[in-house]
Amino acid sequence: MSLHDQDDPALRAAQERRLREVWAPPKGLFLRWTDTNNNQVGNWYVLTAFAFMLFAGVLALIMRTQLAVPDNDLVGPGTFNQLFTLHGSVMMFLFAVPMFEAVSIILLPQLLGARDLPFPRLSAFGYWSFLLGGVFVSGSIFFDAAPDGGWFMYPPLTTRTDLSGLGADIWMLGLSFIEVSSVAAAVELIVGVLKCRPPGMRLNLMPLYAWYILVVAVMILFAFPPLIAGDVLFEMERLLDWPFFDASRGGDPLLWQHLFWIFGHPEVYIVFLPSIALFAMLVPTFARRHLLGYPWIVLAAVGTAFLSFGLWVHHMFATGLPKISLGFFSAASEAVAIPTAVQIFVFIVTLWAGRVVWSTPLLYATGSLAIFVIGGLTGVMVALAPFDWQAHDTYFVVAHLHYVLIGGTLMPLFAGLYYYWPLVTGKKLSDRLGRIAFWLVFVGANLCFFPMHLSGLEGMPRRVFTYPADLGLGGLNLASTIGSFVIAAGVAVIVLDLARSPWRQRSPRNPWQAGTLEWLAHPEDENWGIRSIPLIESRYPIWDQDDFVRKVDEGRYFLPDAEEGRRETIVTSVLDARPISVIRLGGPSWKPMLTALALGGVFILTTYHLYWAALVSGIATLVMVLWWLWTGTAEIPEKSCKPIGHGMELPLYISGGASPGWWAMFITMMADATAFSGLVFGYFFFWTRHEAFPPPELATAPGMAWPLLALALGLAGWIATIAAREVHARGAIAAARMLLIFGLLTSLAGVPAGLAGPWLSGMDPTANSYPAIVWTLAIWTCLHAAVAAIMQAYVLARSFAGRMTPHHDADIRNVTVYMHFFALTALVAYATIGLFPEMA
Amino acid sequence: MAGKSLVLWSLVLTGCNAHQSALAPFGLEARSTLWLTIVLAAGGLVIALGVAAIYVVAARAPEGKLTHESGMRLVLWLGAVVPTVVLTALLIWALPAMRPLPAADSDLRIRVEGEQFWWRVTYRQDGAEPLLSANEIRLPVDRTVVFELTATDVVHSFWIPGLAGKMDMIPGRTNRLVVKAEKPGTYRGVCAEFCGLSHALMAFDVIAMEPAAFDAWLAEARVRPVGQPRERGAALFAREGCGSCHSVNGEQTARIGPDLTRYGERLTLGAGILAPTAADTAAFIRDPQRFKPGARMPAYDHLPQEEALALAHWLKRNGKPKTPEARP
Amino acid sequence: MTDERRKWHERLQVTLWTLIVPPTVWAVHFLFSYLWAAVSCAKAGVFAEFPTLFVIGTVLALMAIALSGWIAHRQTRQRGDPPPHEQGTDIDRLRFLAKSTLLLAGLSFVGVLFTALPVVFIGDCR
Repeated sequence: MSLHDQDDPALRAAQERRLREVWAPPKGLFLRWTDTNNNQVGNWYVLTAFAFMLFAGVLALIMRTQLAVPDNDLVGPGTFNQLFTLHGSVMMFLFAVPMFEAVSIILLPQLLGARDLPFPRLSAFGYWSFLLGGVFVSGSIFFDAAPDGGWFMYPPLTTRTDLSGLGADIWMLGLSFIEVSSVAAAVELIVGVLKCRPPGMRLNLMPLYAWYILVVAVMILFAFPPLIAGDVLFEMERLLDWPFFDASRGGDPLLWQHLFWIFGHPEVYIVFLPSIALFAMLVPTFARRHLLGYPWIVLAAVGTAFLSFGLWVHHMFATGLPKISLGFFSAASEAVAIPTAVQIFVFIVTLWAGRVVWSTPLLYATGSLAIFVIGGLTGVMVALAPFDWQAHDTYFVVAHLHYVLIGGTLMPLFAGLYYYWPLVTGKKLSDRLGRIAFWLVFVGANLCFFPMHLSGLEGMPRRVFTYPADLGLGGLNLASTIGSFVIAAGVAVIVLDLARSPWRQRSPRNPWQAGTLEWLAHPEDENWGIRSIPLIESRYPIWDQDDFVRKVDEGRYFLPDAEEGRRETIVTSVLDARPISVIRLGGPSWKPMLTALALGGVFILTTYHLYWAALVSGIATLVMVLWWLWTGTAEIPEKSCKPIGHGMELPLYISGGASPGWWAMFITMMADATAFSGLVFGYFFFWTRHEAFPPPELATAPGMAWPLLALALGLAGWIATIAAREVHARGAIAAARMLLIFGLLTSLAGVPAGLAGPWLSGMDPTANSYPAIVWTLAIWTCLHAAVAAIMQAYVLARSFAGRMTPHHDADIRNVTVYMHFFALTALVAYATIGLFPEMA
Repeated sequence: MAGKSLVLWSLVLTGCNAHQSALAPFGLEARSTLWLTIVLAAGGLVIALGVAAIYVVAARAPEGKLTHESGMRLVLWLGAVVPTVVLTALLIWALPAMRPLPAADSDLRIRVEGEQFWWRVTYRQDGAEPLLSANEIRLPVDRTVVFELTATDVVHSFWIPGLAGKMDMIPGRTNRLVVKAEKPGTYRGVCAEFCGLSHALMAFDVIAMEPAAFDAWLAEARVRPVGQPRERGAALFAREGCGSCHSVNGEQTARIGPDLTRYGERLTLGAGILAPTAADTAAFIRDPQRFKPGARMPAYDHLPQEEALALAHWLKRNGKPKTPEARP
Repeated sequence: MTDERRKWHERLQVTLWTLIVPPTVWAVHFLFSYLWAAVSCAKAGVFAEFPTLFVIGTVLALMAIALSGWIAHRQTRQRGDPPPHEQGTDIDRLRFLAKSTLLLAGLSFVGVLFTALPVVFIGDCR
């Protein structure tokens, strides 16, 4: 490389100046919040999630104080129920999941040698949604209006408006909003891992953290939507009295339990696997060697992800389902212990084979493994139904789940905090304080939760605000309370350590001498993430590739410049990370924040039954989204290609399956289809619950004709869009526009046709679960038809505005992906409501 | 031998609580589950200590002590094969144990309905007239008993830790739980599924009786109380309209609140939360929310204390056992 | 073994999608078992004396998993770069995916067998 351009220091300085300018964060009191760079957004995200964790921790301390002695009356049952509901909900929805997303938003671009994630504005949108929804849900406790039905919100307690108040709506709508932002983050992370790796980073060289993130984000796609479907049914029952969970009108409370736990169990692994991913990064560093058994980790991550969807009924062992059904879930719940054991032993043998360097992060990792193993073993116990019938809904389960979550989420995050703090701030945390905090948390966790195994088996149910003295559990509970305050002391020490960090000395770059790409980063670096995007030849490039850090720093790899003054990163192929194109990334903007506000308005105003205001907010959201897309996506570049160094030229515009936008649409629609299948599950669940379904008096509703007509219209719109895409690509723009207009009209006509079936046959959705679920499926499909029409209109407008041409056709290709899923939705929905009653 | 060590084990763990503990079983199912518990806990302890020991060895081993091949073999065997074998064995043990006990049509059936926050109990057997009761369950030892469990308002869960595992009570469904008590005595059951404000205050007494004593009790209880003495309490009961929710004469008509026909023999008041003294009964009548937040019974705080007491005394005489032996 | 056949399974290269074939088979089998039991218990109330449908489904699932495991196993044996097979080459990427697929096939095989256990040991709707 002696003749390399980058040998010229003046050139390098000029490049750096341009990069700095392009990636400079916006300044000013207000403008700084419009930033979308992953470093800023990630830091806000982490701090917010951490604050929610502290808040939920304080709630737990109040609960433990109430339970310190029998028959205590520090707080009454009303407050206590809000406390435990909010503690669980906040820890799960506002701490564990967002924290993993936040950490990933910071780390992933660094790990992948990318300048940023592919959709920085989507990250920012996710953050603002999370902040707004989180404050809305957790703030409710200060108005004594917090949800009080438990984090699982079992109906009918929570759906009967005479038994539960505003809190239930706040939970359901506020957290639905957050679920939307979680799905958005999942889309971002999946596309980031699959499409934004540096050249040469084939699947087998990917950092294990990225593997875990890929797996977990896919899990979110399939786990959260069933809950969203459940939320839809739940709010339909609460706000409109549609009886999905009301047994007296053909509903069944168990439907909610199924939908909730199809989400709820994978959720446990969604918060556990990213923490294990942190181990997978720090164990090799402190064993000073490559991780042994890389494919085994991939096996474990993928295997756990699949198995975790076969466990949900183990939360329902006591609901009286047939024993054989319970047996399947018991077996799968045992099987999931196998990949978990594999992961633990992979870490152990890596330490065994390497030279262990003791450090504070490794101490936390060791302690959390110890705690997690105990939690895993009690998990094997409760997976056996006969034992679970005793342990279920007792303090034994409280002990089990806290061992799992403290050992599998909280302490690994602390390990990650101590490990990655220098990467984010350039300063190491104190080893002394870190160790003090570790021992406080470790001893406190055992003191708090171990006795709960016993108090549970000795007859103490969960979620009780008090217990009688003659149960003899005062001693065990007092021990738990003391333990909880010891944990709190440990966390306080950590907070103190963080607070003192700004006054500490800078640490050297890569202070742990790690081998993975993220340690290229240095806080003295600029916002650009990485000086040049490297060619990867090893899993531990800093250790294995010659002169790697210097070459990156001197811009000797790819894309060392920002000539056009745009934020850019490289897109590569999924399997082998071959460079495909350079994409331009969104810069600072108000749009994500405003869109989040508008969407938040829909959920929050609905909570207070302000339907007209909510409708206005919904329209505002739609306008914002269209504006955002119009101005920020599928932009036609000023030139077709640009050089990225080493004689390579990459296109600046790609469409179809190679482009991040196509993947994002595909992934979003997978989530959408999963939510829809939750609703379809509801239909057939009711069928299994009733001798006669549809009920005889409604056997002819909604009839075949209207649903089949609506289906035909939907399919026509779908075919028209595909045809438009094809003729458009061949240059027949006018024909494509005609086809799109036709498609637009059929999609629009599909809306009244879809609703006509249930409407004209006079189905009353409040009368019985059958009309309610038929209406729900019809409305869902018609909403999708309406969105299809909007998308077709959008594509038409892009074409007329000259923003879409036969060579720049990302818009119509992405909309076609939507139309595939819409056609599938229409087919399943209309076949179900139109044809199934004929067969049943 | 086995029984003895089991008793010893439970004594170590339970301390003084032997009436509401899965570690102090008095029924067949709870006893076999306790064995499962002991084996699982001991096995778990051994595994946890084993993993810890391996971890210590691994952390102390010098670099290169473990080759790539032997490391991978360890992962295969300790991480995959051994867990698979152990888990298979556990499943083969636990799956057959999930089968419910066999029950015949002639077995005693006790229907229990969960309400916020109390239990409606109906004894049914062989076409005999059902017997209504509340917040207390009596059952014979050494006989199979079938619980039919459901709920009217929200989800509850029926749990007598010493007898068997829990079973949810779900509106619109009737779940069966087949049990066999083995040791006479007085025990306690609780609601295990969160059901609202007073979830923590929803318990009941369980009285396991010798079969003969149980039969005698059932026969006596079936005899409807006739000609309630014309007392002040009875008049107050009528005047205040208590009868529209509570029945005191064994009739099944007033079912909104707990049946009070044999209130006098109850061991507790308010679904397992208070001693059924006349004073507490009167206090409960005057202000149920004080003892049971969220209870649907309105406060009768307009009743003067002495009237409430009179009502309480009268209630306590209902179904007073004639012989002290009928009480365990 | 004829040349034709060798070509057939060597043409089937493991990719990110084939990686998830074995666990997907497990998932389909699991869902099928659950729905089959739920529908027979809810609608018919009883099980067949010998659950033919279930046995066929289980054997099919095990065969599919074994087949994908076997194909993957063949590909882990491909000659090429020296161990430890963690280079950035075509062959090592292939070997990695093949190895992961093989391991997942093992786990999925156990998973399907576990799913079959309740039918053997419980076998009715109570």
